[in-house]
Amino acid sequence: MKSFFESKGFRELLRIVLAVTIGLALGFIITLFVSKDPVGAYKSFLLGPISRLNRIGDWLEESLTLILLGLVICIVFGASQWYIGVEGQMVLGAMAAGCVALYVPIPPLPRILLAFLAAMIVGALWGLIPALLKAYYNANELVTSLMMNTVALKIFEYILKAFIMTPKSRSISSELIEKPFRLPTFIPNLPFLQGIREIWMKQTSVTIMVYIVIAAVIIVYYLLYKTPFGYELRTVGLNTKFAHYGGINVKRTIIMSILVSGLVAGLAGAHLTLAIHNKIISNMTSGLGFEGINIAILAGNNPLGVPIAGLLYGYLRAGSDVMERSSDVSRELVFVIQAMVLLLVTAERLLPTIQKRVADIKENSENGTNGKPDVKNVKEGDSHVA
Amino acid sequence: MSLETVIRSIFSTLFLASVIRISTPIIFPAMGGLIAVVTGVPNMALEGIMNVGAFVGVMVSAYTGNVWLAILAGIVAGVLMALLLGLFHIYFKTNLFIGGLAVNLMASGGTVFLLYIMTGDKGNSASVKSLSVPNWEIPFIKDIPFLGDVISGHPVFTYLAFLSVILVYIFLYRTRFGTHLRAVGENPEAATTLGIDVKKSRMIALAISGVFAALGGMNLSMAYLQFFQKEMAAGRGWIGIAAVHLGARKPLGVLFASILFGFADAISNQLGSLNIPSQLVQTIPYITTVVALAVFAIQQRQAALERMKRYQKEHLEAISANASKAE
Repeated sequence: MKSFFESKGFRELLRIVLAVTIGLALGFIITLFVSKDPVGAYKSFLLGPISRLNRIGDWLEESLTLILLGLVICIVFGASQWYIGVEGQMVLGAMAAGCVALYVPIPPLPRILLAFLAAMIVGALWGLIPALLKAYYNANELVTSLMMNTVALKIFEYILKAFIMTPKSRSISSELIEKPFRLPTFIPNLPFLQGIREIWMKQTSVTIMVYIVIAAVIIVYYLLYKTPFGYELRTVGLNTKFAHYGGINVKRTIIMSILVSGLVAGLAGAHLTLAIHNKIISNMTSGLGFEGINIAILAGNNPLGVPIAGLLYGYLRAGSDVMERSSDVSRELVFVIQAMVLLLVTAERLLPTIQKRVADIKENSENGTNGKPDVKNVKEGDSHVA
Repeated sequence: MSLETVIRSIFSTLFLASVIRISTPIIFPAMGGLIAVVTGVPNMALEGIMNVGAFVGVMVSAYTGNVWLAILAGIVAGVLMALLLGLFHIYFKTNLFIGGLAVNLMASGGTVFLLYIMTGDKGNSASVKSLSVPNWEIPFIKDIPFLGDVISGHPVFTYLAFLSVILVYIFLYRTRFGTHLRAVGENPEAATTLGIDVKKSRMIALAISGVFAALGGMNLSMAYLQFFQKEMAAGRGWIGIAAVHLGARKPLGVLFASILFGFADAISNQLGSLNIPSQLVQTIPYITTVVALAVFAIQQRQAALERMKRYQKEHLEAISANASKAE
């Protein structure tokens, strides 16, 4: 028990809990300044998502997207590639999935599978340019990937407006994807689950993406920690030169890390069209571009921690939506909280120092008696030499 | 409009003037980025600081009715954001990239949050009456036929941007403190042994970059347009960082890189009047940035290879010379 409380894992956990608590406290202080009813607003923010079944559904759906985005960042940051082109990959993946689901004339099951495949391939390919530039010429991938994001968003808008939008549609969007080509609900059609299934289907639209996301988490974990590719990727992430001298093909690893992350980003895009919106709409990915970083960092870059971090931030996002609708505080508050948490979690010297100092003091007082003979020995040794 | 008119308009005084005007909000963050990079703390929060500067400038000008006070407030806000990043990176060991992204996130969320509180609108600040900086008609030059139209009559910020290039050059290469900053960037350990306070130098460099980024933002909201818009910087902070790379970290090179990006931006504005889909035309500045970074990186790579070959050759020659001497 005692050893657990002094372990590194516990310290990490404590740091995250502290950071989130401080972030939420800061959010409350801001609310105090701007709201007429700060307590009510914050209550709707913190308790809103679980107050109704349909809101729980929204929370879960939001979280699924976020978990996928967190996985994307886990992969690229694991290789120390500051690649943040997720938004571009996701938006084009969403477009590809939507186009297949809307226009390819084949039966439902192969069509849905093809939609996923198309989204993932498009997502991966869109990362190719920054990946090649980084691997072969060491061009700054942060800037190139951000520029490619904007290019992808513009291309998305262009395709949507020029080819997909129907004249009769009032908003900038495609037609709805027909019922049989959408994803089914996540509760299986079994006799004893019939009741729950009815209720869930009526109020929420959580789909079988739940299982796909769980599978993705396990696959990414397995890939990063149990395969030679993952080992190479993490070695490149720790020390590129060492990896190079160790015989790892660094260029290939960098390119592959970005391409594999693109597969997951495309999957997130497919989730947006096939499960959340059921159509292609304008500004589909707004505000999601940097979410993956928040989540991966909070999860300590470990794929198994990503679902927890994703559910947490999905909760905060869903809560901020409820707050915006039911009070005078806008949902952007959650970005400020997230930014603060991000800074605090990554501040290696801030929160753990307090912890470590306490541990050091304890250690000193405990080892006090053991330490003395050593000092004596050294001193005797010294005199002996002299 | 036909292509011919577009091409003709590209060679007009109006277009050249627009290149100068559009380059301004890239020159500012690029200069800020340059100072931060040479000190060894690449500031990835320029984009966010531009948004903050743009927002604070507009709001303070709307509430006080004083342009200069607004500019001062915008600068102070920019410096505070930069110092927040500095505090976390330099003193609390936050990763600089992640810290920069966090500040960007805070800036884009925070400005929209405050905008909604102050104006009740989430998109832009058009509902409040904000001020813009005056334009400057340069005496004598404004009467010269061609030159006057191109150079004269821009907002004060534009002249300040070009002036700042010279100031940054003098600061980095001709002053004691600027040399210290470069030393800190080259080799922090060596700088420490010379008695330079590395942490303090880096904080100051970040603060200066905050000033420039804030000016770049205010140039957008108080000169280029007369209101604040959500995510107003629209990637210009990042393009500024690209300009620092492309300009090989030299003030004049960075200036030319910024003007190149401004040129791409202006071209995309001009082509907007053609019958080409506007979304595709709007990608030009961003694609230019990627291409420019790629070309620069390839060139750097080749230069490094050539250098290596030369050393190798010299080395082999030296060995063979030694061998023949021994015989």
